[in-house]
Amino acid sequence: MQAAVAKTPAKAPPAARKVTFRILRGTLVGDQLTQKNQDFEVPYDDSTTVLGALEWVKGELDGSLTFRRSCRASICGSCGMYINGRSRLACKTKVKDLIYGNEAKNIAAGGEVVVISPQLNQPVLKDLVVDIHPFYEKVEVLKPYVQDGPEKEAHVTKDSFSQVNMVSNCIMCGNCYSDCTAMVENPSFLGPAALAKAYRFVADPREGDKTDRLKALSEDNGVWDCTRCGMCIDACPKGVAPMEAIVKLRALAIEAGNTHVKGAKKSMGLKGEIATWGVVNEPLMMLNALGPIGVLGQLGNALNLMKKGKVPSPLPFEHRPEGLAEVKAIYKELEENPLDVRTRAEDSGPGAG
Amino acid sequence: MAQHDILIVGAGLAGLRAAFEGVTAGLDTAVVSKIHPLRSHSCAAQGGVNAAINPKDDWHDHAYDTVKGADYVGDQDSIDMMCAEAPQAVLDLDAMGCPFSREEDGTISQRAFGGQNFPRTAYAADRTGHAMLHTLWEQAIKYGVKIYDEYYLMKLTTDKDRASGAIVMDIKDGKLHQINAKAVCVATGGYGRLFASNTNAMTNTGDGIAHAMRAGAPAADLEFVQFHPTGLKSSGILISEGVRGEGAYLVDKNGQRFMQKYAPNKLELASRDVVSRSMTLEIMAGNGVDGAVFLDVRHLGRELILERLPQIRQLAIDFEGVDPIDEPIPVRPTCHYTMGGIRVNKLGQSIGLKGLFAAGEAACVSVHGANRLGANSLLETIVFGKITGKDMVDFVKNREGKERPASSPEDLAQVSRQIAEIKARPVNEGVKQAVIRKELTEALQVDCSVFRDAQRLDRAWKAIEKAKAHYARIVVDDKSDAFNTDVITALELGNLILLGEATVKAAIERTESRGAHARDDFPKRDDANWITHITSVVDPQSGEVVLGRDAVRTVDNPAYAPQERKY
Repeated sequence: MQAAVAKTPAKAPPAARKVTFRILRGTLVGDQLTQKNQDFEVPYDDSTTVLGALEWVKGELDGSLTFRRSCRASICGSCGMYINGRSRLACKTKVKDLIYGNEAKNIAAGGEVVVISPQLNQPVLKDLVVDIHPFYEKVEVLKPYVQDGPEKEAHVTKDSFSQVNMVSNCIMCGNCYSDCTAMVENPSFLGPAALAKAYRFVADPREGDKTDRLKALSEDNGVWDCTRCGMCIDACPKGVAPMEAIVKLRALAIEAGNTHVKGAKKSMGLKGEIATWGVVNEPLMMLNALGPIGVLGQLGNALNLMKKGKVPSPLPFEHRPEGLAEVKAIYKELEENPLDVRTRAEDSGPGAG
Repeated sequence: MAQHDILIVGAGLAGLRAAFEGVTAGLDTAVVSKIHPLRSHSCAAQGGVNAAINPKDDWHDHAYDTVKGADYVGDQDSIDMMCAEAPQAVLDLDAMGCPFSREEDGTISQRAFGGQNFPRTAYAADRTGHAMLHTLWEQAIKYGVKIYDEYYLMKLTTDKDRASGAIVMDIKDGKLHQINAKAVCVATGGYGRLFASNTNAMTNTGDGIAHAMRAGAPAADLEFVQFHPTGLKSSGILISEGVRGEGAYLVDKNGQRFMQKYAPNKLELASRDVVSRSMTLEIMAGNGVDGAVFLDVRHLGRELILERLPQIRQLAIDFEGVDPIDEPIPVRPTCHYTMGGIRVNKLGQSIGLKGLFAAGEAACVSVHGANRLGANSLLETIVFGKITGKDMVDFVKNREGKERPASSPEDLAQVSRQIAEIKARPVNEGVKQAVIRKELTEALQVDCSVFRDAQRLDRAWKAIEKAKAHYARIVVDDKSDAFNTDVITALELGNLILLGEATVKAAIERTESRGAHARDDFPKRDDANWITHITSVVDPQSGEVVLGRDAVRTVDNPAYAPQERKY
């Protein structure tokens, strides 16, 4: 049977080549962080992952190179780092893809130098290791557990966890937190992972206190502090799409009467603006309606970047909207098929390269 | 010096489940973990957790399947306890908020797993361990378990004949801390990294088992190492048995199924040891491709694959470059699980050191005997995490544990000297750890894996001796204090070498074939001589591993009498 034999990728580069890893090393003395790039020549073949290459460097060239890692199968979330301009899991990212690009994984061809630095938005402890405690503290403050209470539904069905499952794919790798643009503006923002976790509880029929959660999430640093840039969707290696969860939380928060907060008022007032100008995407409807989440994330991102006049686009592939006509079409689609925040969620998809 | 009532080392499912019992009983409970709890390897468990929840099922059948799967060296009292407690243990997790997959009527869904006569494996899609781990971590946050995350276990300390706590290193700054506790539980997982091809996380180095053996608490069953039939060919990354539970075929290079030759009734869902041996024989007979055979799910259809096996599909795409919807996945037997561990009774108490407990893969309670059934490992963590946690509470509140043991400053000094010695060795005068690790793990992969014999085991033993000699001269590049992973991995390697020594010694000793221990020179099971556990402990004088025996615990149940094992 021919099909039983694994076929080789069509455009595979020749085996046993070398690539330069440019790694931002860092040492912390007291509060003083000193950072410096260091280059390593690394052999690779089609199967070499960034983590495999880093392990090779540590084993063969320099045992002092420091990074976290554990499962090497993109499930433990240890090895998030900033690789060629985006936060990625080292274990899931193939060296070959970084050099030659991989459209299916949304990775741009970066050439013969792989540039690696620690995740953003977090204090660096050493080399590629950041202090993960601020990230976790923002999860812990959200009461991250199912609570008893009057809103608890005793009966669950086959589809009860459809919404829960999508966000509970999260492995807390911090890549979304690292690439979050809202975090740059407001370091107290809870961030995409914590809010996705919050949605996991709001969406769980067994949760007994949804109303209080939605109220708390409507306060400062909560769901309305997200800028909807879509970077978290691009960064997530597990397809969680945190921004989509944030948008759903906004919808549920408004529905629960949390309309006094600034973000909610603004959001409700913007509805006309989008349809007219196409410059502000109404998140309540923007997302989820157009099929593939990734495309939408890219779209929201592109809109925002254009709005801010940020060029060149950090996106490896162009997914910019054609223009106003397309935004209007999206809007129409959303009107016809409103956001489903209660029942079935799209499969979370493959996640970033 | 920090003091707690209960100290648990390891923050995976077993450790966190035990911590839940400690903290909810009002005791000061601390957990030490070398990685953040959510990074623990429990998160990688895919397929599910066994429990006779369905009214048509019976826990006695689950126990029978487990006794048989264990090839009759599992401890029957532990097995009965685990299977009887299983439904409640799963329902506990469900009540805590774990999103187990459901049927239309809301009951917990269950799928078929290998070596069992009923579909009794509950699951949360194909990321069951991940869902359970997050749930137990949530409970640890809720109830305020003190978590020392990114602290590394350097030594389990003793006060005369009793466990007294641990010396740990804060990885972030390299500082050593002494923790004193009335009861200590080791839940650090297994040591699958001893083998070059494995499904394990890089952190699965058996630290807690090795330190317990040094502290005088014997380990047992170390010769029984499970090779999972379906590791991805190139990386060893796990493809769950749940895939075969959903109906996948194992096929050779010609697309032909072959399991009917080896297990005519259960076929692909025979016990793991049986399937791994069958695959290895097929590969050795030239019926594989490039050292692998194939796992074929194409006939299950795109929809089922996307709904029930999404993560599996993604792993195959990401790490093997194969989309299982279109192509069979190349797989080969890969080290997955270590049945052995710290020898404990059914309450999790060490047989050799008072106040020391163990649970999960780090323990040998022994519900798995010579071969673990799929989805019994998650079950073991939540049942024995719970039972051991409860017994620790009782030990501290009502028994000898009421009195606090003493900690000795000499332990701290000794550990400090050990680290200084490794760092002081000039780099050009020693052996790099990558060299030692590679030689050791490759030797064990070749000579102490699916099939063994005296000649291979002798070669494996020589590799152990060489590794020990090299390790005495190990060097590290990183001489700093903060986040020194160079030193940590060197210390982990020391633990692996000790476990390798015990594994090979026990494998040489056991002159029969049973479960995962298959010897070509002793192909028959020898019930007259070998229904017993081989124990291993470190002799404090020589530092060498010394073997002993510990009886298999039986219950008076004629159904558990050894029979020929057919699937």
